[in-house]
Amino acid sequence: MAEPERGRPPGREPRATSSGPGRVLIAVYAIFALSATARAAVQIATKFSEAPVAYLLSGLAGVVYILATIGLAGRSPGHRRLAWGAVAFELVGVLVIGTLTVLDTGDFPDDTVWSVYGRGYGFVPLVLPFIGLWWLRRTSAKG
Amino acid sequence: MIGVLEVVAYVAAAAVALYGLFTTIRNRPPDRTHRIAVGVFEAVLVVQAVIAVVRVFTGVQLPEQSTFLIYLLVSVCVMPIALQFATAEPTRWGGTVIAVGAIGTGVAVWRLHDLWVAGHG
Repeated sequence: MAEPERGRPPGREPRATSSGPGRVLIAVYAIFALSATARAAVQIATKFSEAPVAYLLSGLAGVVYILATIGLAGRSPGHRRLAWGAVAFELVGVLVIGTLTVLDTGDFPDDTVWSVYGRGYGFVPLVLPFIGLWWLRRTSAKG
Repeated sequence: MIGVLEVVAYVAAAAVALYGLFTTIRNRPPDRTHRIAVGVFEAVLVVQAVIAVVRVFTGVQLPEQSTFLIYLLVSVCVMPIALQFATAEPTRWGGTVIAVGAIGTGVAVWRLHDLWVAGHG
């Protein structure tokens, strides 16, 4: 006999992260994905040798925002896992890079999106992962 | 950047953002007024981008020309995408999506201004 459906009772289904206010969150993530990636691309293409670590970090941040955007916009469990991973990485990234740049700016001659907890971007990079994690939790099946 | 046009762009960005937030508060999905407002804002941005590109390729020297051109491209691309995404699911949140796009575009114009001024001391 076939496996019983894995579906949960109605009402316990995870809510799509891409509906309702989630669309606002995706819009913000998309803008950060665009601006961080574009900025890093220019930095790496035109003056990579000036601050390779900072520019590679900029690029990494851009990729993380792209993955978070894709994860939040998708509807499959795989997308949700991708979103969890990317947003958690983003939180660790902004806290670690933020702390390092506050303690010693010497290693970061050029600002990245996460420098000084995202000061150059109105501290939105610091707030965004908390909202992202809250939204993922709120829309999950167990929530 | 281009004096009057830049101010018009900021005003249009603010108007579009406020109207988007207003319809979210009033629990209304994006409608025809949003489309018209975004269309007008986008027209201002396109005119600004065309004039800036012409000037860059007819002699104006900027220290960070590639960055400037990328921001110019971003400034005209965000609103059509935001409008599309906002209207794809007609809920109250569409207005806020449009507002986020308008604020992001406004910041891009501001960055364009800084890059332009840097080339003119």
